[in-house]
Amino acid sequence: MPTEPLLRLEAIDKSFPGVHALDHVDFDLYEGETHVLLGENGAGKSTLVKILSGSLPKDSGRIILRGKQVEITSSYHARLLGIGMVYQELSLIPDLSVVENIFLGRLPRRRVFFIDWPRMYEEAQQVLKKLGLIIDPKVPVRHLGLAERQLVEIAKCLSLNERILLLDEPTSALSEEERQRLFNLVNELRERGISIIYISHRLSEVPIVGQRVTVLRDGKKVATLPVNGVGEDTLIQMMVGRELKEQYPKEKMIPGEPILKVQDLEVKGALHHVDFTLHEGEIVGIYGLLNAGCTTLVRALFGLQKTDSGKIYVDGRRVTISSPEEAIGLGLGYLTRDRAGDGLIHPMPVLPNITLANLKEFSQLGLLQHQKERREGEKRIKELRVLPADLGRCAMYLSGGNQQKVVLAKWLCSGSKILIFDEPTRGIDVGAKSEIFQLFNRLVKEKVGILMISSELPEILAVADRIFVMRRGSFTAEYQRGEATQEKLLKSAS
Amino acid sequence: MREKRTKVSNIGNNPESTVSAIASPRISLLMGRLVSMGGEASKKSLLKGGPLIALLLLIAYLSFASPHFFTARNLSNVAVQSSINAILAIGQTMVIISGGIDLSVGAVLALSASVAAVAMTYHGQSMVVGMLLALGTGALVGSISGIVIAKTKVPDFVATLGIMTAARGLALIVTGGLPVPSHKALLEVGAGLPSGLIWLGSGDILGVPVPALVIVAVTIMGWHILTNTTLGRAIYAIGGNREAARVSGISIDRTKIMAYTIMGLLAAVAGIVLTGRLNSANALMAGGAELHSIAAVVIGGTTLLGGAGGVVGTLIGAFIMGTLGNGLNLLGVSAFWQQVIMGMLIISVVVFDQWRRRRFAV
Repeated sequence: MPTEPLLRLEAIDKSFPGVHALDHVDFDLYEGETHVLLGENGAGKSTLVKILSGSLPKDSGRIILRGKQVEITSSYHARLLGIGMVYQELSLIPDLSVVENIFLGRLPRRRVFFIDWPRMYEEAQQVLKKLGLIIDPKVPVRHLGLAERQLVEIAKCLSLNERILLLDEPTSALSEEERQRLFNLVNELRERGISIIYISHRLSEVPIVGQRVTVLRDGKKVATLPVNGVGEDTLIQMMVGRELKEQYPKEKMIPGEPILKVQDLEVKGALHHVDFTLHEGEIVGIYGLLNAGCTTLVRALFGLQKTDSGKIYVDGRRVTISSPEEAIGLGLGYLTRDRAGDGLIHPMPVLPNITLANLKEFSQLGLLQHQKERREGEKRIKELRVLPADLGRCAMYLSGGNQQKVVLAKWLCSGSKILIFDEPTRGIDVGAKSEIFQLFNRLVKEKVGILMISSELPEILAVADRIFVMRRGSFTAEYQRGEATQEKLLKSAS
Repeated sequence: MREKRTKVSNIGNNPESTVSAIASPRISLLMGRLVSMGGEASKKSLLKGGPLIALLLLIAYLSFASPHFFTARNLSNVAVQSSINAILAIGQTMVIISGGIDLSVGAVLALSASVAAVAMTYHGQSMVVGMLLALGTGALVGSISGIVIAKTKVPDFVATLGIMTAARGLALIVTGGLPVPSHKALLEVGAGLPSGLIWLGSGDILGVPVPALVIVAVTIMGWHILTNTTLGRAIYAIGGNREAARVSGISIDRTKIMAYTIMGLLAAVAGIVLTGRLNSANALMAGGAELHSIAAVVIGGTTLLGGAGGVVGTLIGAFIMGTLGNGLNLLGVSAFWQQVIMGMLIISVVVFDQWRRRRFAV
């Protein structure tokens, strides 16, 4: 390893009102290495890279790039310095095409005024091919799934020829297969001499992509270690600051009566003859690759997607569900996969976000009962350990993982008997994850039935009582708990 | 230190406007706090109170600049002059928070006032019937806007632009293009407006002008709806993130229709007050009122993006506009220049507000 690092951060400090986000953090990055930044939600990972990418100013500290001290004043400036950032919350413009998004702000020109479309398409095709993404670059980003958008976001940075690449939880929306592709890509980039700061809270990714790892906790640096020879347990303990009993706690439950029964559900071109039953106190997992139809299925159940035929029974009664309002009235709850798109109300404070799906419970004749609402909110943020524990704080000022907890809290307090969770732990760290699964255990005891879509294989294997695998809109396999393995699921899914 | 002043995050929404959205009731306590409290609390109040600071500065300046300004009589004048705009702007606040905008308020005001005035003068209806007709007309037209927006997915701007044009047309049809009561009717038939109605526009209770009391009532109602009802919560939710609100079981259609209906109702209230004040209604009254009401909302710190804001700020916004107009009159500034100054004011208040938030916030 060369003696002088490419990038050195010294005593970086940053405070937000009520939160000391970064407390004199030191960090360095050598040429051609991938340095993983690990930490729980709100540990300060995103804040650190935002400072590096110029989207947040630091309060104090020094940034030394190639031996010279620099002040990064804007993301444009960061780009000029060769620092590229792939955001956790996607920054694409939905109505522009893939190629326009990739080249936004630096469209290649011909004769000053005219955009050089042929060149742009060609370059875009190359970048997309490198990522193994097979999409038409002329398609508006709006039509893409979340994972595809994430890849386009990465493509945007790749085409910039950056020397330093900041990846903020790039895999949180990706399926297993796409994740693998991304790892290959990251390693390939590194071999080409690009230095990468890789934010993650997935421990399993650390040895695959990184050479060194730095753990942050509560805004402070815990340690920087070479990846080789560090066990997952050590890392977890460093991240969480306490011993974690079990990653996926699961208590045994005997399922009760069927509460949700779906027969022959059909959505032309997306779902074909889907049949399944969910019982009281049961967790049913649905696993599928991108665009397999899992999300379409649950959207159809929740009245967000028109169905062409099929029957739905709730508590043995035949129902038709044509809006989320009706679905909630029947006792369903639905945590969506796209938190920014249809999960969180960003300008609203935490409390109204939590109680939004169950306003009936906290009102009488249309009048809100503020005290009752407040008590519930306090209970929920304590239970899920939302940080900062401030009900009046605007949801948009929480870190990604804490936002996820707020949306989760919304459905936990909705009083639903049938909860549909689409990637419930997206963006959530180990410590919080095990808490969430403990909550699942409690819900199950209260006879709630849970339908969980997850692309995290270990998670779905550990938590679900039964697992359905979906491919191209149909269930291709059903496994009982204990029957399935990662290999079997992947095989049925592809 | 310098770095702290630079802009922090920007997702397109202002931090404090959002906080004040739900916490706006506290603004009423703000004056007291500004003076009495130190430390964190007063800094927070300062952040919320931008428009209020602007209003106080304006009042302080005018009190020095003109001996006629800070008198009971002139101040009640200001209240009366601000009343129409304030009433409309309170309704507009709700519509804007819900992510919409209503361009038809001036026209709906004129239509409801015309219907009531025609009924009371030419058809011998009582004041109560006249007022009910006005309120009914306002609510009906407002709900039509809401239904069109909810059911056809025509953008709010376009739908209310259409309703605005149509409502002006209807008002012209109802009045035959003449003021009501017309000069002729007044002289020959002796058909005037009921005296009670005139009292609503220009009377007083213990020296407090009735329009000022109407403002107080409307503000309390608007504040109550936004902070204490599920409807208010739904309004913030659909303006903040429509899809997320929908998935949470909030009916977008119902909320939109309610917001526009309340707006229509308030336009009718403003129409009644204005008719009483002018002792006459006509189809073209309150021209440009929609833009003034939007200006008051924006000056008051509610973002046009929706999802955040509150009525107390709007009230202050309406008073800033009213006070400035009155003050410029007292200082003998020509009406033409007043418009120029008002335009500059709208921009500078918002620029100041954003600067102040960046300077002191987060």
